[in-house]
Amino acid sequence: MTASWCAQLRILLIEDETRIAELVTRALTRAGFVVDAFGSCADGRESVALGQYDAAILDLGLPDGDGLSLVTAIRSSGNRLPILILTAKDAVEDRVSGLDAGADDYLVKPFAMTELIARTKALLRRPGSALGTLLNAGNLTFDTIGRDVRIADAPLTVPRREIAILEHLMRRLGRVVPKTVLEDKLYDDELESNAIPVHVHHLRRRLLDAGATAQIHTVRGVGYLLTES
Amino acid sequence: MQLRLAVRVMALYVAATVVVIGILMFRAYDTARSLSEQELVMRASDLAKYVVVSPDGTPRLDLPPRLAASYDSPSATDIFAIRDVGGRIVAASPPRFGELVSSWPPATQQPAHFDVRDLGTERNGYDGISIRLESPAGPLSISVGRSGAATALVYSLLRKFIHDIIWAVSFLVLAALVIGILAIRGGLKSVRDVSDKAAAIGPHATSVRLPEENVPSEITPLVTAVNRALDRLDQGFAVQRQFTANAAHELRTPLAIVTASLDAMEGNGELEKLKADVARMNRLVDQLLRVARLDAVALDVSEPVDLKEVAREVVETMAPWALARKRTLAFSGADKPVRVRGNAHAIADAVRNVVENAVVHSPAGAEVLVSSHSNGSVSVADHGPGISAADQQRIFDRFWRGKNSQTEGAGLGLAIVQEIVKMHGGTIGVENGPKGGAVFTLCFAAPALEPTSEP
Repeated sequence: MTASWCAQLRILLIEDETRIAELVTRALTRAGFVVDAFGSCADGRESVALGQYDAAILDLGLPDGDGLSLVTAIRSSGNRLPILILTAKDAVEDRVSGLDAGADDYLVKPFAMTELIARTKALLRRPGSALGTLLNAGNLTFDTIGRDVRIADAPLTVPRREIAILEHLMRRLGRVVPKTVLEDKLYDDELESNAIPVHVHHLRRRLLDAGATAQIHTVRGVGYLLTES
Repeated sequence: MQLRLAVRVMALYVAATVVVIGILMFRAYDTARSLSEQELVMRASDLAKYVVVSPDGTPRLDLPPRLAASYDSPSATDIFAIRDVGGRIVAASPPRFGELVSSWPPATQQPAHFDVRDLGTERNGYDGISIRLESPAGPLSISVGRSGAATALVYSLLRKFIHDIIWAVSFLVLAALVIGILAIRGGLKSVRDVSDKAAAIGPHATSVRLPEENVPSEITPLVTAVNRALDRLDQGFAVQRQFTANAAHELRTPLAIVTASLDAMEGNGELEKLKADVARMNRLVDQLLRVARLDAVALDVSEPVDLKEVAREVVETMAPWALARKRTLAFSGADKPVRVRGNAHAIADAVRNVVENAVVHSPAGAEVLVSSHSNGSVSVADHGPGISAADQQRIFDRFWRGKNSQTEGAGLGLAIVQEIVKMHGGTIGVENGPKGGAVFTLCFAAPALEPTSEP
């Protein structure tokens, strides 16, 4: 992903710890995002209402209220803005209530910047989100509307089933896609238990032969994941 | 204490029984003896009434014929001898008795007991008294006796009575003893309950308090005092735990800042080392916080958990992390869910820690296999160097690290795992696999609820 084309992606950061806000802003900017940082719930609510953001990163412990109530407020207004929660509270209840309130993902402090950027991108890669149409992994690109796979801009012919698998893997880049999920999504009525491994095997070969830097890994007994390098 | 008390009560009862029976026997025999003495005295005075003065001035016994016949009969049980003041025999039956008595000193007004064995009659053994009585013929020494056979009936009745009494009293004592022991047990049951409760108190169960109801009133002050002491201890514990939790928590923000700052820097090898150091510190703080939480919060371990799903999810979430370290994760488990009671998040935490440990100790390119088993256990097998027998004992201690440990761990990971497993009433074990490497097995409570939990 190059800075030039994701320059228009805007991230709203709400974090009261100025040093953290500063560092997160710097890391996200370097990754090619435009970041607006605020330090309170009130500012956050206002910015969500006014600005056009592609994703929000939200700290839970804010001076003027609980970040969770802000999540609830955003969701109840019908806004589908992808929200990533940052929290120092790692107690189970906090995580669960964060997701229940409508957040899409959470990260526990302290976190690595690379992880924050990866999670943010994953949120943006969801269908309907900013990066949801043109998926990207290393030199591999996939246009979800044109169903067009390219490796370093060279088109690659991929059969329908394998494309469907590739889309799932690319949307969840760097994370495991359970085999059961692929089965559910791809074979509603057919019962071919070993079909998925065969398709993945062919897809992996195909990508490797075409010189893709992204790689499909098998997590035996669970599923598959795609990594950028 | 119960046994000692029972033994004491029993000894007391037995002693009391012996004394009571002894007194009863003494009184019964004493009464029988005094009754027979009274009768003999009456017989003596009867005899005295029939002594008359003969024309020559000497005393003479003039018994009515019926009475005389009963004395003369060879089977007579009664004997007598009457002497006058001069010691001369007035009358005697049988005459042998008279000869015997004539050698005795004169009787006094106090009845004197005698006991003769052989008089050549059909009966042997006579008991009797000698007494001095006034008569129409002046004072006389009268000796009357009765064969033992005649009193035998009275004494056999007496023996029978005492025999019955001994049985009745023994039975009563036994019943009283049983009631006593039951009463003691009943009275001490509440004390035993309190003891059981007290035995359950430990560093992880400081919230337990001894029940103050139904406790004997003598013990209530002790129980109350113990409970107060526990309250104070509990507060001390809570303060300490809270401190650890707070300290770990407060360390996180500055650590996050340091971590993020380092991430943002571009630099030489020194920076990479610094990043590794900070990563290690992050991990330590994270684990300290987890330990503090486990210590402070009572875990709800009653939810139904599918162990297979928990283990599979851990593999799913950790696979990218392992992959970044050039190790792979794999999962194996049966199709059926493995149902146990527990806390899914805590179990996931435990499995995650073991997997982390296994990945860190595996050579590059190796696979770590997580398996769920239908007996309610999860095992994690690696291809590392394995764990020596000596270390297998200490590996779960807090802050314990292997001698040649090159890893970044703080030595808390496995201690956390053990803590979580313990809270589930489960066990954790480690052994070396058949092809080398370590196999950790976390066994949770058996899935006894399997058939009913199906919807």
